[in-house]
Amino acid sequence: MIKIHVTSVPVDNQDKALKFYTEKLGFIKKTEVPMGEYKWLTVVSPNEQNGVELLLEPMAFEPARVYQKALKDAGIPYTSFMVADVAKEHERLTGLGVTFSMEPREMGPVKMAILDDSCGNNIQLVQML
Amino acid sequence: MTSATKTYFEIQLDQLLKEHYLPEYYYVQVRQSKAFMERYLSEKIELEKIASTAFMSRFHYTRIFKKVYGLSPRQYLKDLRMNKGKELLKQGLTITQVCFDVGYDSLPTFCNAFKKATGFSPGEYQHRNKSNPE
Repeated sequence: MIKIHVTSVPVDNQDKALKFYTEKLGFIKKTEVPMGEYKWLTVVSPNEQNGVELLLEPMAFEPARVYQKALKDAGIPYTSFMVADVAKEHERLTGLGVTFSMEPREMGPVKMAILDDSCGNNIQLVQML
Repeated sequence: MTSATKTYFEIQLDQLLKEHYLPEYYYVQVRQSKAFMERYLSEKIELEKIASTAFMSRFHYTRIFKKVYGLSPRQYLKDLRMNKGKELLKQGLTITQVCFDVGYDSLPTFCNAFKKATGFSPGEYQHRNKSNPE
């Protein structure tokens, strides 16, 4: 059976991203393999440590940088993470200094909010209602 | 946030909500039925009963549920039961106990459904997750 093993977000600085994704969002570092100037750096959810890994991918390709900036400027999320309670996460993260471009709002079967990951991306938090 | 300060993305969401989404009360009603399934997944529950918690007929309910969540209520309930089953197997409960706790009254039916959903028999799943804890 095929399954998703790794997915990625492009980040402008891997060390800064690791700090944000672990200390603020609450992921856990899984792998850190040096690869020349950059590294293969992944994080996982604490509840699914053998689950899908999120690769904090260095943004080192100029056309991708243009794409990332266009998404960011339009408020479009690069990717989306599931949480149990969007309002609580919004409150917790705001308290940690994280900024949101969209406050929690209901959209049919989900509640969602969009935060700035400080590494060049909008990230959507989703709660199934 | 006013429309002047909304991002392009949020303006698109507003438009989608206005033009393509169902009226709000449908979501509220369907959510009630979803909560009902989550609460009573260990019991034998009929589709009519689930639909009644959303104040809809069985056929209308099935159609609306699928439109909202992208799968049938029957499949949703099955997924719910399988996820709960995985959780209980990881906790070390016996397969028979898990079978009853997730609303099945036949062990072979549960084992077949579990294998179909996860690719593993309940026993294999429990063994893998005991030796490789998450």
